[in-house]
Formats: sequence, structure tokens, C-alpha cells
Amino acid sequence: MTNETALYALWLLPLAGAIALWAFGPALKRGAGWLGSAVVLVSFVLAAALFGAVTGGPGGVHAPLVTWTAGFAFGLQLDPLSLLWTLIITGVGGLIHVYAIGYMWSDRAIARFFAYLNFFVFAMLTLVLSDNVVGLLVGWGLVGLASYFLIGFWFYKPSAVAAARKAFVINVFGDLGIMYAVFALYAATGSIAFADVFAKAGTLSSGLVVAICVGLFIGAAAKSAQVPLHTWLPDAMEGPTPVSALIHAATMVTAGVYLVARFAPLFSSSPAAQEMVAVVGGLTMVTGAVLGVAQWDIKRILAYSTMSQIGYMIMGVGVGAYQAGVLHFFTHAFFKAQLFLGAGIIIHALHDEQDVRKMGGLYFRMKFAFWAMLLGTLAICGFPFFSGFYSKDAIVYGALEHGHPVLFLAGVLTAGLTAYYMFRMLFVTFFGPYRGEVPDEMLGIAPQAQPAHEEEHGSHAPAWLMQAPVAILMVPTVVAGYVLWGGAASPWYRYFGSTFAAGENGPLAAPLVPEWASTLLVLALVTAGIVVAYLRYGAPAARADAVARLGREAAGMPVALRRAFWVDDLLAALFVRPLQAFGELIARTLDPHVIDAGVRDFAWLAGALGAIFRRLQTGLVRGYALTIVIGAAGFIAYFALLGGAK
Amino acid sequence: MSVDLANYVALSGVMFFVGVAGVIVRRNPLIMLMAIELMFNAANLALVAFARAWVANAGHVFVFLVITVAAAEAAIGLAIVVAVFRRAKNVDVDEVASMHG
Amino acid sequence: MIAFYALAVVLIASAIFTVTQKSPVYSVVGLLVNFITLAALYFTLDAEFLGVIQIVVYSGAILMLFVFVIALLSSGIGPFSEGPNRLPRIALPALLATLASFGFLAFGLLHAPLAPIPAHASASTLGAVGNANVFGSVGDFGVALFTVQLLPFEVTAFVLMVAVIGVVLIAGDAAPQQTLGTHPAKRRARERESIVKVLK
Repeated sequence: MTNETALYALWLLPLAGAIALWAFGPALKRGAGWLGSAVVLVSFVLAAALFGAVTGGPGGVHAPLVTWTAGFAFGLQLDPLSLLWTLIITGVGGLIHVYAIGYMWSDRAIARFFAYLNFFVFAMLTLVLSDNVVGLLVGWGLVGLASYFLIGFWFYKPSAVAAARKAFVINVFGDLGIMYAVFALYAATGSIAFADVFAKAGTLSSGLVVAICVGLFIGAAAKSAQVPLHTWLPDAMEGPTPVSALIHAATMVTAGVYLVARFAPLFSSSPAAQEMVAVVGGLTMVTGAVLGVAQWDIKRILAYSTMSQIGYMIMGVGVGAYQAGVLHFFTHAFFKAQLFLGAGIIIHALHDEQDVRKMGGLYFRMKFAFWAMLLGTLAICGFPFFSGFYSKDAIVYGALEHGHPVLFLAGVLTAGLTAYYMFRMLFVTFFGPYRGEVPDEMLGIAPQAQPAHEEEHGSHAPAWLMQAPVAILMVPTVVAGYVLWGGAASPWYRYFGSTFAAGENGPLAAPLVPEWASTLLVLALVTAGIVVAYLRYGAPAARADAVARLGREAAGMPVALRRAFWVDDLLAALFVRPLQAFGELIARTLDPHVIDAGVRDFAWLAGALGAIFRRLQTGLVRGYALTIVIGAAGFIAYFALLGGAK
Repeated sequence: MSVDLANYVALSGVMFFVGVAGVIVRRNPLIMLMAIELMFNAANLALVAFARAWVANAGHVFVFLVITVAAAEAAIGLAIVVAVFRRAKNVDVDEVASMHG
Repeated sequence: MIAFYALAVVLIASAIFTVTQKSPVYSVVGLLVNFITLAALYFTLDAEFLGVIQIVVYSGAILMLFVFVIALLSSGIGPFSEGPNRLPRIALPALLATLASFGFLAFGLLHAPLAPIPAHASASTLGAVGNANVFGSVGDFGVALFTVQLLPFEVTAFVLMVAVIGVVLIAGDAAPQQTLGTHPAKRRARERESIVKVLK
């Protein structure tokens, strides 16, 4: 099998899986899970097999698809950047597929779930494997669609449907930006292939480049939940936990990072665009962390932490530290998936209880979940010797190196906040008394009705289905960061080689503080965060008093945090409600009075014409005879006046 | 001064249109049929005139044909009239209007 | 030539008379005059055979057919009665249409180069012998009918046969007491009556 064939195969297999599952899913029932997982894991094996081909020579593996016209050629390419994403998508994705077999074991629509998951993998692969901007755009849109399917998977829950719709609409708004950027690029360069576009990037006017970058970044911001287009991400937690793990943590939301990294030549040639990217990333990073402090739903805590970490990544690629930003994507995929899957184990064991206030004391009951969550938490905080430590430090110091001291400080502070709220989650969930039986009002939980999702009661999934992927993920959660060892000669830098050479700005000659000082600063803040969390939630005194303390905290939560800085309300007031009012106006006036009236009047016209002509049908012979004579008169006139056959 | 062919054709035309008017205005089916006979004969006259002008006895044969067909048509038309109006109250073509729309 | 104009006047007068009489019998008489005048015109046009045929077939047969039907229809009813006029104002459009048509015809005639009728009809073009050499004679017509125009001759025979069959079917006794507007039940009762009458 040639490299090109392997590339085609690894791209198309998930699609084949999705189609097969859509067609035969109901017959397969749980077998659908095995089929879906197998397909994705085979893709992973193929991608891994191509590793040598990609790192061996320049250009990687290129597999052309269709050439429509000159300058409009579709194809697949596997270079270091897309190979990295492919390995994560199929590898972590494959593990999550296996996990989902166990998680969705008793769900009636399990086949549909895996069909959608496979479809998502195919869409994401289209996005990262395209060698042209249009293919990327197609993948971009399809991924949004897959997200809509999966968030609203339990469609009988109105909250899920609303969340899916919100995610899709915000994504479509981002799609507009990236679409115009693609149009502008094609118009300016006459080709859609990355190679051609980047070759001509230097000839474009700077204003055009900034405009294109802004358009691209609007798309990236929507897809990666950057402020102010982030409101869909916490709501997207309505989907099943494997969905949250795969799409809204490890892969889809990182599409924006991929986009900026892929278009590095464009972004790097425009300092204004880079500044915009870095600032938005930094803002998101901080906002996510601040809001994460105020969350009570375990998945929402993780959602805001995702938002914050992606802010780190965006900030990293925004300042020009591409390797650092992409490394954080790499490590984040592992430990975030780990965290979500572990949370899923807890949720599943507690029969869909997601509020941490109703948890507690799980350390004794669920040791495996505890160790998983602990490792993930340590990684995300950037604790030394865990993977997140290396990537986060690289970004933060990279910000300083490329001349953004404010962003550097923001990154350091956020690290402390991250430690605080993640350990808050850990302590509240696993320590103290078990609060599952405590009445909701004492804990400050507002009563709400939720229809239970349909389950077949009976068989239970074998435990290893959910535990094995988590166990496997523990390894990279710890060690993935070590690829950065060795400075400029590290495996990481050597892997990327010259991918970012055109784009990467060199570091400043003299950063303000040396690297070890930055590391120590981060470490100090992280420790401070852990200590504060411990004192508030983990200390024996706090644990004993848990119920009252949690109740007080819930009641005393500042309004700004509870309403998530009113961003949702602002967007609703600015866009949603006016459009809805407009729609109702049209439905009240235009629809019945113009459109319906037009159709009605047309029908009336037909009837009226018929009534007129009906009066000719008298049934009287003499009338018909007259008609014939009039026709004959016409004939005679024709022949007499115009000479007829002559 | 000889008679022009046009004169004969004009005469034929006048007779023809008298027949036409008769068909439209009269309501008695028998008189309508007679008016139709008038029309046939008008055509015959024109044919004979042309045959004489061009010295072609094909015109005569055609007239023969027309007379035959007119006879057949008159027979069948009268049969229909008899069949329809045998026991009718009025012998009026306007009464047979069941094909009105 | 004076013959032409005299005959023309009579022709048209009788035509108008035919069309405008209330009683069909008067119309038949008018039609008779019309046919005979037409036969005279044929004679002036050297169509001797056709003139005779016109008198024999048209006035002798077809008109008699009309008379018989008038007699048939009027038995038991009295003078022909008519219902209300459903198209009372049709005379004007009819008149207009016919006048317009005639106007177009006249226009065409005035602008068409129609030759005058040759004074002397030359011999017929078929190369026949004796009497058949005269244009419009019986011999001439017969030769044409049975040689050159044999097909129309056969077709006329066929047409006449069809007409006879059609008349028998339409107006024959096979259609008992079909009348306008008879209720089916009444019709069946009448049929039962007639069967009983026959059996008696």
C-alpha cells in the first residue's frame, strides 16, 4: 500500500463507518460501538504508519483528489502539523470511542451516536488534511454540523436542543468570517492550494492581509470559543460526556488553533493581526479561569477550563510562539480527555448526577476515578514533571520572549486561578461527607425538572470499557511534555522542522526575566492556588462543615459571575431577540397578506377566467355555428388580403 | 360583353352567406338543414364556373361528388332530426342544449 | 349575359325566401325554385349533364326527403312550435360576420386576375370520340368518371352505402320510444305496456 493510498484510506474510513452505521445501525445495536471504534483505531494505525514518511522528507505525503479547474485543485496533505492533529483525532478519538461503548451501553440510540461520532472524525480529518482553503472550509462546516448532531443527541431534552442550536448559530457566524477570508484569498491569489497561497502571501497588500486574518480569526474565535463567541461552550455540555471529551475538549475546539497555525505565514506578516489574536486569546484565558471559579456542575467547570486553556493556545500562536501553542494543544488533548472521561465515570456511577455539591467523599468509593482526576488536574495546573508544566511554561515564557509582558503576567495569574478552581473541584468532589442525600435547598441548588434520558435497565457495561481508555491516557498525561526536552534540538522542534520557519518570529534579544525565573513565578502562583483551595475546601475544618459552607458560597456568589459577565444576555439582546421579533413580524404581515394572498389570488384568477370562458359553452348549436363563421371570416380575410398560398 | 368568372364567384358567395346567416338565425332544424343545402349548392356553382373557365371536367366530377355527399348528409341529418324530435314538445334546436358548460 | 343577371336575381331572391319563411313547407318551395334556377345556370355554363343531375337528384330526391320528414314530424303536433329564443340578439353578429366575410371575398375578387370565360369551350381534353368530345356532355362526363376519376366514383358509392346504414340505425324502429326527458321508470313502464300489447 502506497503512502497516498494509506492517506486516502485513513481519511475515508470514518466516513464509511458513519454511512454503515447510519444504514445498519439499528440492526447492530451495541455492535455499532465496536465497529465505530475499530474504524477510528484503524485510521490511527495508518496515520502512525505514515509517521516516517512525513518526517522523512520535506513536504510530507500528498494525495491529490479532484482538480476542477486551474487553481482549484482539491487534495490531502500530511505534513507535521496535520499529522499531529490526525494522530490526536484518531488516537484520542479512538480511545474515547471505546470508552463511549461503555458509557452509552444502555442508551437506545447507541448506533446513531457512533454514526455521528464517526462522521465527526471524518469531518475533522477533512479539516486538517486538506491541502487547500476550500477543503478546510468544508471540513470546518461539517465539524460544526457534527457538533450540532452530538450536542443535541438527547433531543427530547429541550435544553439540549437549545444548546445545539446556539452552538450551531454561533459557529455559522464564525463561518461567515472564514468564508470571506477564503474568497478574498482566492480572488487575490487565484488559487486555493495552501502552497500557492503562501507563496504569494508576500505580494498581498498589508491591508488585505489584515482583513483576511481578521476573517479567519472570527471563524477561529467562534469554533474555539474565544470571547465573545464563547457562550456556546458551557451549554454544549448538554451532550453526552464522550462528546464533551472528544469534541469540546480535545479536537473541534482546537480547530481555531490549527487554523492560525496553518496560516502562520499570513499571520506573521501582519503584526496587527497577531496582536488581535494574542489579546483575544489572553482575554479568553483569563475570563475562562475567572468564571471557572464560580461553577458547580463538574462538566461546566471543565468547559470553562477548556475555554481558558484554549485561550492559552491561541495566545501562544498569536504571539508567534507556534511550537509552544501547538505543544499545549498536544498535552491538553490528553489531560483534558482524561479529565472528562474521569468525570464521566463519576457521573455514570452516580446515575447522572453532575452537581459537585451533591458529591463528596468519593475518594473512598471510586479510587480509580480519583487517581485519574488527580493526574489530570496536576497536569492542567502545570505542576512540575507533568505534561502541562512544559507546555504552559513554554507559552507563558514565549509571550514574554516575543514582547508581551502584560500577556505574560496574565498567563501567570491564570495559572494560579486554574490551580485554584481545579483543586476546588477535586476537593469538593472527592473529600468531605457524601452529600448525595442532602436536600437541595441546603446546598443552594435551585429546583429544576429534567426528563430522564431513556435507558434500558438491565445489563451493565463491563467496567474495563470505561476504565481502560482512562488508564491508557494516564501515561501521556504525565509524559507527553517531555518531547520538549533538549531546547532547540528537542524532538518537538526537530519534528516540526521548518514548518513554522516562514512564520515564526524570532524571540527578542533580551527578555525581561530569564526562563528559570518565569518558571518559579508560575510555580509560586500555582502553589498558592492549591493552598487556598485546600484551606477553603480540603482542610479538615472545611470538610466537616461542607454542607453549610457550600450553601453559603452558592448563595453568596456574585451576580457578575453567576450571569457569566452577562455576555449571553448581551448577545441575546443584540442579536437573538431582534431577529426573533423580525421573524414574528414577517409571519404576521408578509406571510398571510403577501405570500399566501398571492397564491390565493392566483387560484381565484384561474377560477375567474374559467367563469368567463364558461359562458361560451352554451350548448346551443347556433352559437357554435357563429363561432365557426367568425373563424371562416378570418380565413377568408387572410387569403384575400395577404394572397394566401401565393 | 361576356360574363366574368368573378361574377359567378361573387354570386356563389352571396348565396353561400345567405345560407350561413340562415343557419345561425333560424331555430327550426329543418330550415337549418335547408340552409346548409344552399351552401352546398353555392359551392357547386363556383366549381362549375371554374370548370367552364379552365375547360376541365374534373370540376364536374367534383360537383358530382359534392352532390352525392350532400345527399348522404341530408339523409343522415334528417334521420337525426327525426330521432331527436320524434316526441319532443318543441321542434327547436335550442332545446337540445345538454352540452352546455 | 342578360340571362345571367336574371337568373342571379331569382337565385338570390329564392335563397332569401327559403331562409326567412316561418313554415318549412314554404321554405321547401323556395328551395325548389332555387335548385331549378341553379340548373338553368349550369346549362348556361355548358354543364348539361350536371344540370340534369341537379334537377333529378336535388329537387327530385332530396327535397322530397325534406317534405317527408316535415310530414313525419308534424303528425300529431300541429304547426311547428318553438320554445323561447335562447340567443335573441344573435342576428346582428351573424349579419356582421357574413357581411365581413363577403367583403373580404369581394376584395379578393377585385384584386385577383380572373380571366373572362372563353366564348367557345374547346373540345374536351380527353381525346374521346363522338359525343364525348363535347365539353360537359354526358359522354364526356362518363368517360372522365369511369377512367380518370374512377376512385371518387367508388368512394361515392361507399359514402352512399354508409349513409343508408346510418339512416336505418338512427331513425329506425330499433329505438323504441326514446324521447327527450322521459323518466327511466316511466320509460320502463311504457316498454312493459308495449310488450303486453304485442302479446295480447
